[in-house]
Amino acid sequence: MKRGLITWHKDELPPQAFDTRLAAARRVLSERDLPALVVYSDVWRSNQGRYFSNFMPYWNRALLVIPSEDKPVLLCSLSPRVYPWIKSVTILEEIKPSPNLAQRVFEMATEKGWTKIGVLDEGSLPYDLYSQLHAGDLEVLDVPASRIRPCADEWELAMCARAEKLAREILAEEMPQAPGLIDHEFVGRLERKFRRAGAEDLILLIANPGTPAPPTGAILRQDFAVAVALEYRGHWVSIAPDGTAHNCLSPAGAEFL
Amino acid sequence: MLGLNQHRLDQLTELMTEHRWDVLLLYGHAWRKDFFRCLVNVNFSGPYAAAALCSGVTYALVSHPWDVDLVAPAVNGDTTCARDFAAGLRELAEVLKLAHEQVGRDYVSVAVAGLELMEARFLHALRDALGATPVSATAQVEELRSVKSPDEIACLKRAAHLADLGYQRFAEVIEPGMAEFELVAEVESFLKSNGAEDNFMLIASGGTEVTGMKPPTERRFQIGDSVTTELTPQIDGYYAQICRTLVLGEPNPQQREAFSIFSEARQAAEDLLKPGVDIADVARVQNDVFRKFGYGEYTGSKYTRVRGHNLGLHPDESPYVLEDVHYTVKKDMVVIAHPNTYLPLSGYMVYGDTLLVTENGCTGLNRAERKLFQK
Repeated sequence: MKRGLITWHKDELPPQAFDTRLAAARRVLSERDLPALVVYSDVWRSNQGRYFSNFMPYWNRALLVIPSEDKPVLLCSLSPRVYPWIKSVTILEEIKPSPNLAQRVFEMATEKGWTKIGVLDEGSLPYDLYSQLHAGDLEVLDVPASRIRPCADEWELAMCARAEKLAREILAEEMPQAPGLIDHEFVGRLERKFRRAGAEDLILLIANPGTPAPPTGAILRQDFAVAVALEYRGHWVSIAPDGTAHNCLSPAGAEFL
Repeated sequence: MLGLNQHRLDQLTELMTEHRWDVLLLYGHAWRKDFFRCLVNVNFSGPYAAAALCSGVTYALVSHPWDVDLVAPAVNGDTTCARDFAAGLRELAEVLKLAHEQVGRDYVSVAVAGLELMEARFLHALRDALGATPVSATAQVEELRSVKSPDEIACLKRAAHLADLGYQRFAEVIEPGMAEFELVAEVESFLKSNGAEDNFMLIASGGTEVTGMKPPTERRFQIGDSVTTELTPQIDGYYAQICRTLVLGEPNPQQREAFSIFSEARQAAEDLLKPGVDIADVARVQNDVFRKFGYGEYTGSKYTRVRGHNLGLHPDESPYVLEDVHYTVKKDMVVIAHPNTYLPLSGYMVYGDTLLVTENGCTGLNRAERKLFQK
């Protein structure tokens, strides 16, 4: 669960990264003659919104609206009480409280004179929101994420490399001491180290040996292995039990590939 | 408690008969596993899983091969794995249609619990394979889940006990100069070491400028800080919660005054909570305490979210404790009543326990001291 450090260090991820990504989105909008792109975000499917703005909703849902000729706006179901914090860790300057996200999209479209919008990977929207967006007069068109981000950019690769280095260093320190421990205890040790090192989210599965699975209270054998999925500042990396690393750049992020 | 929930299977089978649903599909993804786990209580790695009840058989579909070994023993039908979950759902729909043809039916009515959470492409895959759009079973299944079985209550008691221990750890390790995220790391480590599957936790620290909790930041604790947290560890799928406020150093008179208001509000909720009560009144009696002291404006959505909520396989279950939510409380519901809000006296403050609704009232499942903590 998202409960680690959510922050934005501009030396790691410069504003230029977001400028470049937003420019790519606007190029596709121009090609498709669309006035704006809507990007869905929730506590689990936060990676697309994070890519364009560094926004991660620790709770509830939000839509990032990227107009073709204006700054992005966040339509947010979270309370305005946390907007100062959101602004402190994102590129966002305007956040609109939006208990009803679809309604707010319609209002914004009316205000701006938009008759159609693009939705990033609209088939991945939760069905309730998908239905609500399609129930209005606004024409809603799918924009595949692969059109805008066909491959990882240099900043993503650098952040994923940082995440992988962090994961490997901590595993190298902790694995040799683990045999004989109860798996829960080992997972607790890893949680402490990873979270103190700035991990935002963490999934740990134990193969003792066999198929990796959540800990069960078993004593770790000499030949045990661990699968780690680590989110470091919005960038996921997974380390399989055989030590293979994968950058997890899918919208869901935390997939063991 | 892990594995197939037989009590829930019986309830769902009855529900299907009542609504004439041929198939009931329980959908889950990595963040919302609760509909899946209410029947097949397995902590899948995901990202997706679905269980389908049809003609007395429970089928399962998972999206990661590692989940097959976990899920298959819990169901009496086939467990299949499909990385392409939409394709997996189409294949599952064909199996379900075939099962119905064998009993002489050519039309399959399908209901989905968690339909609203399901990615549209998955629902479209089901619709295309079935030739009809599934209906939502979310509200009906949530209603069944709101009242806990003895086994579920036992899990929630264990989770509440771990929440108490987790808060004890929180109060032990916090110190001036420590960063919020470092404290959270210590608590997470403790909870996981003691068997928590997961934990939902928010935190805030500071003074009257603090208007709400959020994920931990790099802010370092200072003497005089009011530090709020809600800890929500998960045991065997079930979340219990504790909300407490701690002051670093001697609490000032305003912090003490604020806490006395929160204490009275929490007590008012617990005094009222019992079967037959409208949950709106559980919110109202808390808010009335704030109104009595002249802080009524701080009971609205500008300063607070809810005055509590149900607990179970999701840390924030319906019904919400709000003055405009009307729901009749039932025995064996497990609820947290928390008058958490901002007050100009103290900044944001939290206070609340997990409560089990009994025959004639309610009983707290937490044993942590009921006080304004200080260190």
